[in-house]
Amino acid sequence: MRNLAGVVAAIGGSVWLTRSALADGWNMPLGVTDVSRDIHGLHMTIFWICVVIGIVVFGVMFYSLFRYRRSKGAKSAHFHENTTVEVVWTAIPLLILVGMALPATATLKEMYDAEDADLDVMVTGQQWRWHYEYLGEDVSFISNMSTPRDQIDGAAAKGENYLLEVDQPLVLPVDRKVRFLLTSDDVVHSWWVPDLAVKQDAIPGFVNENWVRIEEPGTYRGQCTELCGRNHGFMPVVVEAVPPEEFDTWLAERKQAAAREASGVDREWGMDELMTRGQKVYESVCASCHQVDGSGNPPVFPALANNPALMEERDRHIATVINGVSGAPMPAFSSTLSPVEIAAVVTYERNAWGNETGDIVQPSEIQSQLE
Amino acid sequence: MWQVLKSVLAAFFGVQKDQQRKKDFEEGRPTAFIIVGLLMALVLVVGIFLLATTAAE
Ligand code: HEC
Ligand SMILES: [Cu+2]
Repeated sequence: MRNLAGVVAAIGGSVWLTRSALADGWNMPLGVTDVSRDIHGLHMTIFWICVVIGIVVFGVMFYSLFRYRRSKGAKSAHFHENTTVEVVWTAIPLLILVGMALPATATLKEMYDAEDADLDVMVTGQQWRWHYEYLGEDVSFISNMSTPRDQIDGAAAKGENYLLEVDQPLVLPVDRKVRFLLTSDDVVHSWWVPDLAVKQDAIPGFVNENWVRIEEPGTYRGQCTELCGRNHGFMPVVVEAVPPEEFDTWLAERKQAAAREASGVDREWGMDELMTRGQKVYESVCASCHQVDGSGNPPVFPALANNPALMEERDRHIATVINGVSGAPMPAFSSTLSPVEIAAVVTYERNAWGNETGDIVQPSEIQSQLE
Repeated sequence: MWQVLKSVLAAFFGVQKDQQRKKDFEEGRPTAFIIVGLLMALVLVVGIFLLATTAAE
């Protein structure tokens, strides 16, 4: 009788411990989509099945060890085969597995059904940032991590969303079906937002699909979850889900800004405005490899300051930024930066950090090279 | 022939009586088991395929 009470207490204790650990945020989140709740439900069902199996198997084992111990004079039985027992212990796991596979397959089917989306977003991984493009809307931008360097270096206190904050979040409407088309410009990345139950590889040369219908407005954070190089830990994902009307306003504003940007190609730009603009672009896009002060990280990432050879060759400078360097980590920026941004960043590089070429690169010049 | 099929199915399931196993090894012809085994593997694959396609509709 005392034994039984002990066993019950042990089981009760572990169930209680497990439940409180789950409640304390150790578990996967319930999320804010139909699919994420299905996945959470599956996860919990399978988890409790495992708990029950664990308790039964180890319970029988420990009970037998204790009850039939040698000091009590137990003798081991010698028998060779027992077909009935073997059939039972093969059939039960089979039924359990099939029982788990049925709802899992139903959820998978739902996850793969990316048809009839209201909005298509192209998600492109790059070392080490995400590029988002609202297909058919002429709106696209790069989303960089915005955690300051001194927090990473331990020189400042870490903020609340340390390493999980970006300069421009991906804005999405709630209550609409959004389809993601995921790919990569360089190596394999993976786009992961736990609350949306999306974790999908972004593979160069392939386009993977996934979709969400978010139910609650809010900010949802995630990370790249495929080891992709030095700054793998520094390419977070932030999704800002807003009501549909708010999203439409936002998209219209971004479209106008894109149109203004495009019209900037036709006019003549002055040195000062190119430098200001170029510095912004440089610091958000290029500095992760070439460093804020242009010193690079030789031998892999060349310095752009104190680089007389490069200053001699204006055309090669422009071509490198447009086309990248194949076989090296230098990305092509022809599709991710606008002509104005490319012109500005090249002008900036040719006139910052003691580079005094006085060169001005006009957006129209870049535009004609892109065509 | 019936016995060969039964033994092959038992192998698919993973449980066989020791007595029967010994008998198979003494009396059975290996080619019979191999042919029936390959046939049943084909039946299994086609069966899963049909099940999956009907379930997907
Ligand atoms: C992911 C890292 C990375 C990023 C981001 C990056 N570069 Fe580079 N860049 C490189 C590497 C690596 C090379 C050297 C390529 C080679 O092997 O020739 C390079 C080379 C260059 C060169 C040629 C230098 C020379 O001396 O030949 C220029 C110019 C340049 N990058 C400009 C830029 C600009 C402008 C940006 C931002 C718009 C940028 N890079 C962003 C990695 C990067
Ligand atoms: Cu990555």
